[in-house]
Amino acid sequence: MSSHREAPEISKDPVADSTDVYAFVSPDRPHTVTLIANYIPLQGPAGGPNFYQFGDHVRYAIHVDTHGHGEANITYEFDFSTDLADPNTFLYNTGPITSLTSANWNRKQRYSVTRVDGRGRHVLGSGLLCPPCNIGPLSTPHYAAALARPAIHRLSDGSRVFAGQRAEGFYVDLGSIFDLGNLRPFQNLNVFANGLAAAPGVNATKFLNVHSIAIQVPISRVTAPGRPVIGVWTTASRQRVMLRSADGAQDIQAGPFHQVSRLGNPLVNEVLIPIGTKDFWNTQHPVHDKQFAHFVAHPELAGLLPVLYPGVFPNLAALVKAKTPRADLEAILLTGIPKGIVPGFTNLTGPVQADMLRLNTSIPPASKPNILGLLGGDAAGFPNGRRVFDDVVSIELRAIAGLTFALVDSNYKVDAAAGQVTDGLTPADLGTPYLNHFPYLGVPYDGYDQPAH
Amino acid sequence: MPDLDHSGVAPKHASKQIGDSEPAAPSRRSVLRVAAGAGAAGIAATALSGVVGGMAAQASALKGTRPLSPEEASGTDPLIVHVRDAAAGEIDLFRGTTQTRLHDRDLAARLVRASQ
Repeated sequence: MSSHREAPEISKDPVADSTDVYAFVSPDRPHTVTLIANYIPLQGPAGGPNFYQFGDHVRYAIHVDTHGHGEANITYEFDFSTDLADPNTFLYNTGPITSLTSANWNRKQRYSVTRVDGRGRHVLGSGLLCPPCNIGPLSTPHYAAALARPAIHRLSDGSRVFAGQRAEGFYVDLGSIFDLGNLRPFQNLNVFANGLAAAPGVNATKFLNVHSIAIQVPISRVTAPGRPVIGVWTTASRQRVMLRSADGAQDIQAGPFHQVSRLGNPLVNEVLIPIGTKDFWNTQHPVHDKQFAHFVAHPELAGLLPVLYPGVFPNLAALVKAKTPRADLEAILLTGIPKGIVPGFTNLTGPVQADMLRLNTSIPPASKPNILGLLGGDAAGFPNGRRVFDDVVSIELRAIAGLTFALVDSNYKVDAAAGQVTDGLTPADLGTPYLNHFPYLGVPYDGYDQPAH
Repeated sequence: MPDLDHSGVAPKHASKQIGDSEPAAPSRRSVLRVAAGAGAAGIAATALSGVVGGMAAQASALKGTRPLSPEEASGTDPLIVHVRDAAAGEIDLFRGTTQTRLHDRDLAARLVRASQ
């Protein structure tokens, strides 16, 4: 997955487990950028009575590097707290929740937004209400209009923010990919296929929810003059010490916040970083990513593809055998793509190797977006930032399979399959559509209707 | 100075005031035990909720021996002490969102003894 349950330790702490980051010029408000960080993976919509919520003791952050040095120049911090109206009922709600102020809603969650920049800390909003989880037609009627839309708040600097449950927008065939790297559309060619015929992909995240923190900010608020390319990533941090109470009192949290999860480019920690290093990677800042550059330059998956699909990737196999560093992947994931590689495009941030989503904010939204982003000729899509609908699985599979290596070595002959490899999914495989407005991810599935009868 | 066993982490007999007598040298056994744990998690964090004033007094004793001012003593955040490396006398104090590292072999030794 993009980064769902990607590391052993963070997989045990789902409220702090970042799953996806998106950064794009807002298509309906192109003077703004939208930054989204998702947490709490693979939520079954019926997961009550304690429906999902953000961690009250987790500090969530979205960082923006405006100067290409792998450090945050601007950070938006999000701190949550929960109000329990009636502790003497087991119910999340004691009647229909018809508004954010409904007395029937027993467990509300609020949050503050603080911007940290070179001029200090600025609280942009506090006491902001999250919407409830989408429970079902009796508990949360008219969810989108009555509960989700009113949970979009305007901050004191004019930005807009939303924090709450959304439909998972990342589509991926997990069941196949984690079954020995299988890709259903090509599984007839897999070395372990044993007679399996090619088949369409299956979206494993269909009908699942996630929790999103989304903020829409004027471009001028997150860029430096003359530097339209920004780096974006999210982190979740916990205080160093947690002492469990033995007498029913609140557990004690103490000490400085310590980063336990981070995410910039999709699938980096998931696929490129080895399992014994993943949780350490989560604690590191992008500025220190040179220590992981070897895993990008020599991705394990590039060596596995020719083994799993014998004879399908002969040129990739030769590239791996020659131990040729993948300068294409280093550019896409660690530095940005310099001018002259893709005509008319750059999202280079400089020589510092740092895993960040790099968004060139001077590129306007596409009138006809291509889910393959830059590989599909659409410079407004991944790896120029990331939109909610971008097919990052296919893009990165193709890149790792060698499709983008020809951009840095004109003598390299790309394997025919490298331009076709995919898990076989598109946004048509979602269970609910994206929104065409903030916060762009779809209305969360409710637990009454999903799983379907 | 409250008893150390208020938080259930130390026996009653260990509850003498910290800082008003010369510490006994830690036993070789206890030092080895703590040192072996240092670097990963160290020994289990020693929770001294309720003895904030006393620990702060010890911390201030590093600079002198003056008693706590009312302002210093009025802190309500719990203080959690981690003897990170008893042999080296490395002690981390966690309070609020801060972490303070002390280097005090005597104090570390007394905390280890109190925990036994």
